[in-house]
Amino acid sequence: MSSRYPGKMGKERRMPPIQYINPMMVRFNMSTAEYARTSVSALSGVVAGILGLTGLVGFAFYIFCALALFAGLVLKTGGKKSESKRFFLSRRQLLLSGQFGAIFTYVLFWTFLYGMVHVY
Amino acid sequence: MSEPELLLDSSIRMWVVLPIVFITFIFGIIRHYLSLLLTSEKTVTLEQVKNSQAMIRSAKLRENGQFIPQQAFEKRKQYFLAEDSIIIKGKNKPGQAKNPMTDPSMMTDMMKGNVLNVLPMIVIGGWIQWTFSGFVTTKVPFPLTIRFKPMLQRGIELESLDASWVSSASWYFLNVFGLRSMYSLILGENNAADQTRLMQEQMSGAAMAMQQDPQKAFKNEWEQLMTTNYVNALHGIEDVVCTTPVVLEDIYTRERIAASAS
Repeated sequence: MSSRYPGKMGKERRMPPIQYINPMMVRFNMSTAEYARTSVSALSGVVAGILGLTGLVGFAFYIFCALALFAGLVLKTGGKKSESKRFFLSRRQLLLSGQFGAIFTYVLFWTFLYGMVHVY
Repeated sequence: MSEPELLLDSSIRMWVVLPIVFITFIFGIIRHYLSLLLTSEKTVTLEQVKNSQAMIRSAKLRENGQFIPQQAFEKRKQYFLAEDSIIIKGKNKPGQAKNPMTDPSMMTDMMKGNVLNVLPMIVIGGWIQWTFSGFVTTKVPFPLTIRFKPMLQRGIELESLDASWVSSASWYFLNVFGLRSMYSLILGENNAADQTRLMQEQMSGAAMAMQQDPQKAFKNEWEQLMTTNYVNALHGIEDVVCTTPVVLEDIYTRERIAASAS
């Protein structure tokens, strides 16, 4: 919080960001991010299937969507690293956790919509 | 986009692809409610509650001890590390490693877990493979190597077919894996209820992790507490508070600033 109110002594005596970690809320935030991730992977799978992306382009589209979600979450939590630390313990965890299940969901929706639109 | 080289009958879509999705989905939901129905209440002994409460308090001291005065921190640390404290006692007591085979309640829990998770998957998978055998259901939109053929085209056995066409059984497995994370989205309310219940248990100290091996957990906690030293996070806080112009960010001040600016 100290970075938020830059005072006179901001430069010479910058304090480490003090925070009280509430484990329940940390878990709540992570599960919210998990919801967002599942939704984004399902929706991006639908989009990829309707567009008829195939092969590597489809996977690149997934990576693009995952990165966009990550960027969105980081921006939502304030952009700066010290700000996002207030909501999530680590940013890398925000990007990488649950990615395995999400990619399966993506592949499922991608295949489903691709089959519906382009195969039949 | 090039059209696929195979034209599938659209009644395959109506009677094979969609039913498989539907069946997988419904069974996931049924399984969720069955597991809610069958999970037995865990009984917790007084000692377990005591142990886990001690652990929670010690962890709190470790994590947030920098906000209290040094004297208070040291006092608490000494209390937790005293000879007759719960942590030391628990550390020195040889934990009777519970053998899951000898504990009937644990055994039934394991059985239930297996019955609920593995058995339906095998049964439904077998049933789907038997009912919908021999259909080329759909095409995965990415190229696959020839090694995937036996896995994905179970029940078709066509030499010349491209590996990215999948059979009904493989489509079922794709569904099983893909829908797993969808359940948490769709069963959100119930899952949330589950989570809050779990949290409540943790708050009241129902010792989830403690049941594994209390001695190990105590030893771990003891080591961590021993290596925790006091750091004052509020060093010089008086100066900071007194010299920092604090702008309270609430609606009232924001409105007032906006009003004075205009």
